[in-house]
Amino acid sequence: MSLSVDPWIWIGALFSLAIFSFLYKDNPFYRVAEHVFVGAANGYAVTFYWHNVLVPALFNPLFRQGQLLFIIPFVIGILYFTRFIPKIGWLLRIPIGIYIGYYVGASIPAYIQAFIIKQVQGTILTPQNFASWSAGSWGILWSVILFAGVLCTLSYFYFSKEHKGVLGATSRIGTIFIMIGFGAAFGYTVMARVSLLIGRLQFLLGDWLGIIR
Amino acid sequence: MKIIDKLAKIDRRIIYLILAVVVILPMIFPSVLRVRVMPPVEKLFHAVDNVPKEKALIIDFDYAPQTAPELEPMGFALLRHAFRKRTKVLILSLYVQMLGLAQNALTEVIEEFNSVAETNTDSIIYGRDYVFLGWVPPPIIPILGMGESITNVYQVDYYGNRTDTLPLMKEIKNYNNVGLLVSLSGSDPPEWWIAYAQNRFGLQVGAGVTAVSASKYFSYYQTGQFSGLMVGMKGAAEYEEMIEKELAIKSRRIASEALPPLTYAHLVIMVFIVIGNISFLMQRRKK
Repeated sequence: MSLSVDPWIWIGALFSLAIFSFLYKDNPFYRVAEHVFVGAANGYAVTFYWHNVLVPALFNPLFRQGQLLFIIPFVIGILYFTRFIPKIGWLLRIPIGIYIGYYVGASIPAYIQAFIIKQVQGTILTPQNFASWSAGSWGILWSVILFAGVLCTLSYFYFSKEHKGVLGATSRIGTIFIMIGFGAAFGYTVMARVSLLIGRLQFLLGDWLGIIR
Repeated sequence: MKIIDKLAKIDRRIIYLILAVVVILPMIFPSVLRVRVMPPVEKLFHAVDNVPKEKALIIDFDYAPQTAPELEPMGFALLRHAFRKRTKVLILSLYVQMLGLAQNALTEVIEEFNSVAETNTDSIIYGRDYVFLGWVPPPIIPILGMGESITNVYQVDYYGNRTDTLPLMKEIKNYNNVGLLVSLSGSDPPEWWIAYAQNRFGLQVGAGVTAVSASKYFSYYQTGQFSGLMVGMKGAAEYEEMIEKELAIKSRRIASEALPPLTYAHLVIMVFIVIGNISFLMQRRKK
């Protein structure tokens, strides 16, 4: 065992223990650690934005190099703050409109192509899709299960007709696929959370206490 | 029956304590678990391995402290792989908070290589072998902009150097000169790279994701939109296994060391789930 002499390791370790103390019950140590974390993260982001975005990308070109075109984004950006002045608060809609317009224009075609068309293509029963499972001839079976699973799950979300007869049967099968999906997601969530615990314990037992290498 | 009743009312803090013991003991008394490499990781390894010499590998370090235990070992393994193969590497982050962790991984891996390098050619040199592009907001701007010109989007690198003066950036102009991008993230960035960079510019994309988001991302692997995929601590351990087996890279395997406690913790949680369900059914029957 070789205890760390690095003060930053000690700070990290003590804050980790303060956060872990919430598992016993809420307490002042936990609250202090939580507030310090939120404050430090926000302070870091704000200063980084200032020094790496606003100053080099806006203030320097506009005020030092005299590039007057930059006054347009500067004014549009300033309009965000009009929400604090009720009389002219409506001006806020201009930057929000520009922002949403840009994102919607860029996203809709990209998302339809990448997340709808490509995903639908992935369910079609083709030799390429059979091969994508890397499972030899079993790939055909997995593709058929995937195909059936997608159709049955979609039928579960079809609410314009009562779930009786064929629709009732497919939607019940769809429910089974959904439950399997939830189970897999839960299993992965457990894995993720335990991994985080292991990561912190590697730090506490290794970097701080020196019990493990 | 009494035992079942008691187990149903067990204090959650006792469960936390048992879990802590189950995780800590295998860390103090380590054992070795064989890592079986699954096809998604194997494909990612080969995708990285096959990046042509004249093209670059981009690694998008988008993990924060809360996802670092799962994703940081992936970053280390990818950097070791790329530097061993002498692949040109560009590093970037789509979020500001991740830059420090990316720098951390770079410093450690480069130190490993340069400490055993005998000549300038063997060494990993900034500007020649890799460039840390840093961060430009918002994410969609660099993702789309790099398709036209990387140095236009990242005019200065993380350290403040003008990127157009760096030798590596004279060869790597845009996505045409990029063989593969690997996004290490616990949230949406891998999807953005597919939607904007792959869709529009045909960029090959791989991903390393947290286990929580695995079920979402497997569908992109199945459709071939991801060239390969690492999932959680297990995925990182598999990649560590690949680089040790295929490239004889001997370094600390952080993710592989975590597998025994991870396995035992899973077993304990499964036991608790079974006990919880049995006691629930027994109590319902009593009513």
